[in-house]
Amino acid sequence: MINSIKVMNLCMSKKLTVIPEQCSGCKICELVCSINHFGVNNPKKAAIRVIITYPHPVMRMPVVCGHCKVPTCVEVCPVDALSRKDGIVQLDKEICISCYKCIGACPFGAIYAHEDCDYPIHCDMCGGDPECIKKCPKGALRLIPEAALGESKRLNNVLSYTQMKEIEFYEKGEKKTIHYAEIGKEEL
Amino acid sequence: MTIKSGYFKKHLHVDLSQGKAQRLDLEDEFLEKYIGGRGFGAKLVWDNLNKHDFNINPLGPENLMVIASGPLTGVYLPSSGKCSFVAISPATKMYGDSSAGGSFGVELRQTGIDVLSIDGKASKLSVLFIDDEETSIIPMPELKGKTCLETEGAILEHLGTHAVHVAAIGIAGENLVSFACINTDWSRNAGRTGIGAIMGSKNLKAIVVRGHKDIPIHDISSQVKEADKAYAYMANHKYFKLWQEQGLMNVIEYANENGILPSYNFRDSVYAKHEQINGTEMVDHYKIGDSACFSCSMSCGNICLVKNGKYTGTVTEGPEYESCAMLGSNLGIDNFAAILSANKLCDELGLDTISTGNLIGAVIEGYEQGILTLSDIDDQKISWGDEDAILDLISKIAHRDGIGGILADGSLKVIERWPEMEKLLLHVKGLEQSAYDSRAGISMGLAYATSDIGAHHTRAWTIAKEMEEGQNWSDEEKVDTVIYHQTLRPLFDMFGVCRLPWIELGLNERHYENFYRYVTGNDATLEELLDRSRDIYDLTRLINVGMGVSRKDDTLPYKVYARPALTGPNAGKVIDRDAFQKLLSLYYQKRGWSEDGIPSDDLKNKF
Repeated sequence: MINSIKVMNLCMSKKLTVIPEQCSGCKICELVCSINHFGVNNPKKAAIRVIITYPHPVMRMPVVCGHCKVPTCVEVCPVDALSRKDGIVQLDKEICISCYKCIGACPFGAIYAHEDCDYPIHCDMCGGDPECIKKCPKGALRLIPEAALGESKRLNNVLSYTQMKEIEFYEKGEKKTIHYAEIGKEEL
Repeated sequence: MTIKSGYFKKHLHVDLSQGKAQRLDLEDEFLEKYIGGRGFGAKLVWDNLNKHDFNINPLGPENLMVIASGPLTGVYLPSSGKCSFVAISPATKMYGDSSAGGSFGVELRQTGIDVLSIDGKASKLSVLFIDDEETSIIPMPELKGKTCLETEGAILEHLGTHAVHVAAIGIAGENLVSFACINTDWSRNAGRTGIGAIMGSKNLKAIVVRGHKDIPIHDISSQVKEADKAYAYMANHKYFKLWQEQGLMNVIEYANENGILPSYNFRDSVYAKHEQINGTEMVDHYKIGDSACFSCSMSCGNICLVKNGKYTGTVTEGPEYESCAMLGSNLGIDNFAAILSANKLCDELGLDTISTGNLIGAVIEGYEQGILTLSDIDDQKISWGDEDAILDLISKIAHRDGIGGILADGSLKVIERWPEMEKLLLHVKGLEQSAYDSRAGISMGLAYATSDIGAHHTRAWTIAKEMEEGQNWSDEEKVDTVIYHQTLRPLFDMFGVCRLPWIELGLNERHYENFYRYVTGNDATLEELLDRSRDIYDLTRLINVGMGVSRKDDTLPYKVYARPALTGPNAGKVIDRDAFQKLLSLYYQKRGWSEDGIPSDDLKNKF
C-alpha cells in the first residue's frame, strides 16, 4: 500500500517532459510503449511518436500526452470516457465509443489510432513509471517535478547572458577557466 | 526445424514494364536457408541470372533489383533498422549490394512483406508507392532533375504527410552514374555498388512505404529480456558515450594514429592536419544534433551545421568516417566546413562518397603527374585541397558534364580511356576502395580482393587485428580471420541489423543467436546460422563466376603492391605480390574453391 501511495505522489507532482535537443530519433520509446501496452512489436501502436523534420528545420521531437490541467480531449468527449485523475488523463475503455473526437481536439496531436485497436491510443504514464523514460538512451524523456519545469531553460538563459566573460587561470599547474558577468559597464 | 514466426512469408514483385504488382508466398525452406536481407537478394538475383542465361545488362530492364529486410529488422533490439539493396552492379558487372539504415526497412516490413523485387522499366519517371496492401506505380515526371532531398520533400508535400518513408535517387541515379546511391530517410544511404543507377535505369525515382502491421515475433517476452541485456551492456561500455558524441568520426584519430588513413589519393596513410577534420573538431564547432537509426542507442549519426564562413548555412547528416576521409584527407582538404559541403553535395546528387573521393583523388594526382592534360580536365585546373574545383567536379560527375561523364562510369572506364590511370586508381573489380589503407596489412588486402562486391570493408575488416598483432600471426590465421569475418559480418545484413554494436562495442554475437530464436522460433545455433551465411558467400561467388570473375580478378590496386605510403607508422610498406598469391591460394583451399577460385559444380546444385 505504501508503495502505491508513493507512485501516486510521483504521478501527481511530476510531468513527463520532452527535451527535443537530446532526441536522436531512434524510436525506442515507440517500441517499448507498444510492447508494454499491446504486447506487440509495433511502433504504430505507441502512445508516443517521434516526429522528424529535416533539413529545414532540423528537429526530432517525441510527441506524447502532456496530461494538461485543462484537457481539451476531456472536454470534447461526448460520453465522458476521458477524465483527469491524480494528474493523469485517463481513458475508460468500457465507456469509450471510439469516435476519435479527442484526437482532433488535442492541440499536440498526442492521441493516436490504429485499425487493430478499438479505442484511441493514449499515454497512461504506465501507472506512474513510464517505460519510455526508462529506456530512452539519450535522456530526452524525463519525469520532472512540476515546480522544476523550465529550470534548465532558465539556467541556459542565464549562462548565455551576453556580457559573460571568460578568464583563464592556473591552479596547481592546471589550466582552468572562470566565467563572470561584467555588469554596469554598458548602458542598456 | 521450422520457422514459427518472424516473417510475413510474403514476397512483393513489381514489374515496372507491365505496371503490375504481385504478392507471392514464401516457403519456409527459403526463409530458413536464406534468412533475409542479402541472403534473399542473392538467391533472387541468382534465379534471375539463370533465367536469362547469365546474359544480363546491369542497366537493362532484365536486371532484378531486390530490397530486403531481415527477420530482425524493426524488432526491439540494438540497431535493427537495416535493409539490403541487391542487384547486378553497373560498376562491377557482378553481384552488388549495399545496406541502408534509418527506418525505411522497418516501414517496408510493416507493409507485410519480407522482400520486394523490381524488374522492367517504367515508360515515364515514376514513384512506387506501397501503402500496406496497396501497391501503385505513379508517373511523376515532375521529379526529374530533383536532388534526393528535394525528391523526398516533394513527395511528402504531395502526400501531405511526414508519416511515410522514402528511398529516392538523385540526379546521379537518373544519369546512370555507376556509383549512384539510394538515399533513404533523408540521409541514410545505400551507398555502394551503384544500386541507385539501377533505379535510374528503371525510371524509378523513388519508393515510398507506409505500413502498420505488427512485426511478427515468436516469443516477445524472452526477446525483450534479451534485448534489455544487450542495451544495458552497450550503455555501460566505456566507449558508449564517445559513440553517441562522435559516431564514426572518432575513427579519424584511430586511423591516423595507426597509419591507415588515406591522404592525397592514398599516397600517404597519415594526415598532418588530422586535428582539423577529426571528431573533436566536429563536436566543438559543427555538431547541432544526434541522429540514430531505428532502435539504436549508439546514435552514430551527427547532424552538422556550418555557422560561419563561405559555407554558412550548410546543414547535413554526417560526415561519417569514410566520407570524411575520402572527401577530406584523401583530397587534401583540411577545412571541415568544405568536407561537410562536399558530403552534403554527394547526398543531394545521390553519389557514393567513397567512390567519388577515390576518383577525384586520382584525377588530381593524374593531372599533377601529367597523365591527364589540362584539356582532359576541361581546362579547369584542380589541385589538392582546391575546394571549389573539387565541389565543381562532384557536380560534373552527377551531371555527366565534361570529364565528369567519364568518371561517372567508374574506375574501369577511366582506365579504358587513360590506361596510365591504372597506377593511380584504387579499385578491385571496378569498385573503388574504402578508406582503410591495406598496404600495412596483407589480410586486409585479402579482404578487399575477395570481397564479393569489390574493394569494400563491409565483408571483412581485419585491419584492426593487423595493427594490434603486427606481422606476428600466421598465414593460416589470417585466412581464417578473413573467412570468419566474411561469414559473420554478412550475417548481420541477412538479419537486417547493424553490426556496429558487435564490432565497435563488443556486443556478444551469441545475443543474435537468441534474438533469431526468439523471433523466428527456429532453434538454429550461431554455428548453423554462420553455415547458412557461408553458403550465401558461395552463392555470391557463383554469381560472380557466372559473370566472368576468376582468380585473375581477385587482385589488388597497383599502389598497394608498388607504391608505399610516404610517412607515418606504415611508411615504406607494400603488399608483396607473391606473398599475396600464396595467401589467395590458401584462401581458395579453405573455401573449397578450385585453384582458379571457382566453386565446385556440387555447390551449384545447392541453390
